[in-house]
Amino acid sequence: MSAALRFEASSLARNFRGGAGVHGIDLDVAAGEIHALVGLNGAGKTTIMRLLLGMLRPDAGAVRVCGVEVGRADAATWSRVGQLVEHPLAYAELTGRANLEVAARLHGLDRAQGGAAVDRAIEEFDLGRYAGVRASRLSLGNRQRVGIAGALLHEPEAIVLDEPTNGLDPAGVIVLRESLLRRAAAGAGILVSSHHLDEVARVADRITVVNDGRVIGSLDPGGFDLERAFFALVHGDDETRRAAA
Amino acid sequence: MNGVRTGGRGGPSGVRTGTGRCGVGPVGPGPFAARGAGLGFTRCLVGLRAGVAVEARKAMASRVMASTTLLLVVGVGVLALGMLLAAASGDEQVLAKLGPLAGAPGWTGLVGVVLQITAAAGVLAFGVALSWMLGREFADGTVAALFGLPVSRPAIALGKLVVYLAWSVVVAVALTGVIAIVGFAMGFGATDAAGVRALARIPVLVVLSALIAVPAGWVATIGRGLLPGIAATVGIIVVAQVSAIADVGVWVPLVAPALWAIAPDAVPAAALLIVPTVPLAFGALCALAWSRLQLDR
Repeated sequence: MSAALRFEASSLARNFRGGAGVHGIDLDVAAGEIHALVGLNGAGKTTIMRLLLGMLRPDAGAVRVCGVEVGRADAATWSRVGQLVEHPLAYAELTGRANLEVAARLHGLDRAQGGAAVDRAIEEFDLGRYAGVRASRLSLGNRQRVGIAGALLHEPEAIVLDEPTNGLDPAGVIVLRESLLRRAAAGAGILVSSHHLDEVARVADRITVVNDGRVIGSLDPGGFDLERAFFALVHGDDETRRAAA
Repeated sequence: MNGVRTGGRGGPSGVRTGTGRCGVGPVGPGPFAARGAGLGFTRCLVGLRAGVAVEARKAMASRVMASTTLLLVVGVGVLALGMLLAAASGDEQVLAKLGPLAGAPGWTGLVGVVLQITAAAGVLAFGVALSWMLGREFADGTVAALFGLPVSRPAIALGKLVVYLAWSVVVAVALTGVIAIVGFAMGFGATDAAGVRALARIPVLVVLSALIAVPAGWVATIGRGLLPGIAATVGIIVVAQVSAIADVGVWVPLVAPALWAIAPDAVPAAALLIVPTVPLAFGALCALAWSRLQLDR
């Protein structure tokens, strides 16, 4: 038996009008692993993440979350998942702490569990200064911090983060990096997308390259000049498709 | 998939064969399951309780809800007082607008004016507020964060509706209180003591107005934003008001409250009792829409 899989997608396809979408995606995220998705804008990273989380239903293929088919995942399964895809859960009218308390409640924690989890999250993500400030008054980066903290405060085992460093300052990037490494070491399976190849190389165990809705290869996180390798893969794929057209 | 390791790091753990969020099935470990007593229906209720708690917290912190309450309560009070004073001074336009109410004395006249205003303004306020409660998740982008949670999206949507209806009761009590103060200030306590019972019609109409505005929430969901819900609200007001003025549609739930506001004797109690079919039907549609929601637009 291989390591437990937190996410598993096989032959996944979802087509949108105009030809966009993802096609034949095979992807998995094992326990204890940080798996990075990289690709140009519009390559299909967010669509893949949405499919993994049930935000989109696939036209073909299957997704399993913690071993359960995504369409049949129940409350116990989803309580093991943490995600931030695009917009953080940060309601403008609520303070930083109140937003985290709401996130705790939505992740299935009761009042006592939630209070302790919120305290830990505020400390871990250095949100003490903003705990009493309404989200409407927070900067983009601090709203993102609140969103990440809210997505992770229940110590999920299966994590999906779409461009989590968006808006984060360098200190926030380090806090996030340490948070992900700690959770992966504790057994969480993490899928993360990013445009920052150097940041990806610091945390990822595997890097999968997506282009035009398909997985076109992988990068070695310890490799030299990731940027060159990335563009070589992408341009090679573009030329292959142009030649076939 | 070769298997799933359970246990993890002290967080929620355990795997079970899925049965859908609200289906019936075995319950494994985890915070919801621990409290869930083994039935899918119970799991849904646990989710609903969390949904209500979260939405109540958002509503209480929201300036939109507070300002809507204030605008409706104070606005209707001031408008009613102004119309009565204008009628008393013989303003012909206001007298024409009030129709038979123009000559009604004491509490009956005051409450009649309040009901006429509330039948339209109440639906507008409630429809806009409910459109915001549901449509904001799309406008703010927070809807994506409502996926992948142990609290189901239908529970969140129904939580919004429960909070909305509770809020309408608060508005009903507040408006009744304000109008009572206005009436007593105008001396009706002494001149028309028996007529004070007419005040009871105000909370009934306020809540009925909230009930018939519920379709706006469904439209805001289907339309993925506030504006479609507000457009639906305007549509409900037009249908209700035009029908009421034309004196048709007593058995149409969207129309009955407005007709009852104008002519209470013309609307049997049974016609008002079927008004809750509107929120029941559109609440169910709302839950279904949130259950089947995809982020494909």
